[in-house]
Amino acid sequence: MKWIREIWQSIVRRDPLSTDKGKSELVFLNVWLHIHPAKVKKENLRFKYSFYLGFITFFLFLILLTTGIALMCYYRPYPPAAYQDMKDLQFAVFMGSFLRNMHRWAAHAMVVCVFLHMCRVFYTGSYKKPRQFNWVVGVMLLLLTLGLSFTGYLLPWDQLAYWAITVGTNIGSYAPLVGGQLRELLLGGHTVGEAALLRFYVLHVAVLPSLVILLTIVHFWRVRKDGGLSRPIWKLKPQKTEALVTIGAPAAVAPLQVTAASKDKTYGLMEVVTGKPIFETMTPEEEEDTVFSYPYAFVREAVALMATVTTIMAISLFFNAPLEEMANPAVTPNPAKAPWYFLGLQELVSHSALLGGVVLPAMMVIALLAIPYIDRNPSRRPRERKWAIWLFTFFVVANIILIIVGTFFRGPGWTWVPPWVHVVARPE
Amino acid sequence: MAALCSAVGVSLGAVVRFLVPSVFYGPPQSFKIGNPGDFPYGPPTFLADEKIFVFRDRERGFAVASAVCTHLGCTVAYFQNDRDFHCPCHGSVFSPTGAVLYGPAPRPLNWFEITLTRDGQLRVDKDKTVPPTYRLMV
Repeated sequence: MKWIREIWQSIVRRDPLSTDKGKSELVFLNVWLHIHPAKVKKENLRFKYSFYLGFITFFLFLILLTTGIALMCYYRPYPPAAYQDMKDLQFAVFMGSFLRNMHRWAAHAMVVCVFLHMCRVFYTGSYKKPRQFNWVVGVMLLLLTLGLSFTGYLLPWDQLAYWAITVGTNIGSYAPLVGGQLRELLLGGHTVGEAALLRFYVLHVAVLPSLVILLTIVHFWRVRKDGGLSRPIWKLKPQKTEALVTIGAPAAVAPLQVTAASKDKTYGLMEVVTGKPIFETMTPEEEEDTVFSYPYAFVREAVALMATVTTIMAISLFFNAPLEEMANPAVTPNPAKAPWYFLGLQELVSHSALLGGVVLPAMMVIALLAIPYIDRNPSRRPRERKWAIWLFTFFVVANIILIIVGTFFRGPGWTWVPPWVHVVARPE
Repeated sequence: MAALCSAVGVSLGAVVRFLVPSVFYGPPQSFKIGNPGDFPYGPPTFLADEKIFVFRDRERGFAVASAVCTHLGCTVAYFQNDRDFHCPCHGSVFSPTGAVLYGPAPRPLNWFEITLTRDGQLRVDKDKTVPPTYRLMV
């Protein structure tokens, strides 16, 4: 048995987990875990503060990666094979339907969770200094998530896919100056056809996921470098708050301080430079409020992961991902509706393609990206940032109302039809 | 620095140019649609693959309207009762002459040139738009 222990030691190279040193080494000697701190603040673990939405979003992305790779084994990205493969997945491939369901529902859930995560970060003021840039990265990840959803639901090459690609790329063509060329670039031609499907496939399985992975790495790294997971800093005791907001650029004229090395701690390269760090630092009293990541943080993450996977699996057992008829360029379904998260955009576009499809969304994105740089109010206390909260709430509610109108109040020909009215489409 | 920037610029330009197809394999813009006798008087004939309506009027002759909504490219439907075109995507309505009656469409529907070839067939050219008053008498 000794040699087994030896092999195990060669892999993990750490002290037993019963010791504090072992618990720390588990984190920082492991390439996959070392994005965590060895110890986390107790407030970081509170579910009611963050709802673990960032974690859940990441776990949903993992589900999407794994199920997506599985689905690629049965998918040929050209019409009409693409649609036939959907039917194969539905009826012939073992668990094909289940995996496709998981992929679809996880994608929907990811859109929801990214959005809710953004709301949580906003309402807790977590985008404020020094986390401004990480908010920007987050907004880019939101856009990439929407891009992945858009390119993803085109791949089945059903009616929804065909008309979404038609409408979506035509919206792009309203963009000033580059509009026409942009559409040609996306479609790889003048009309929606084989070239377009292949391009969207490449975007969906290679380009966009790579970008998401890259930006997620930056996002996580910055969470650590900007002072760890966000927490309700305004609920801490005043003197502590004061100590915590001593944040600023490294002082240019800071005198070289020679500190005696502590006997029971080791220091890395950071010790040879001077100046205050940009990120939040921990005071000694605060260090008492921390617990080891193992097991406290890891157990919670594992529970969140299992809950996410289980929920998506359960939904996928009972609800099938929609699949419309095969793409038919001659017949536009009436009404032709995008998936729910784009129905707000479709509602805007139904009023004006340029204003609703290009100008307003572009302004929304720019406003979102600029939030941490516009909002100079340093306070994270909700009471002291009423304006910001009202404005953002207006943005959220307006989006939700647009989606509800597009989903439930639009009938054939995009006319106003409340859900309680039954409409029979007119014969041609 | 300038050299580096221009090198990067040229490379990026090449990448973008690579993504623009040099050959388009789309359907031809000019095509024959058949003999005049194939088309009835009255309601227009919808040609699904070409996305056009072929009108034939006893007094005034042939005319071809595009079935592609000028808003975002959905295929419009023709309603015989009101003689207008309805777009299912965002609710645009076009008059019998293709003018925008309602909805977000920015331009009237296109009308395409229709001519008679030497072998007596009808030819439609989608690259040549004509005013809605254009008619081909056969």
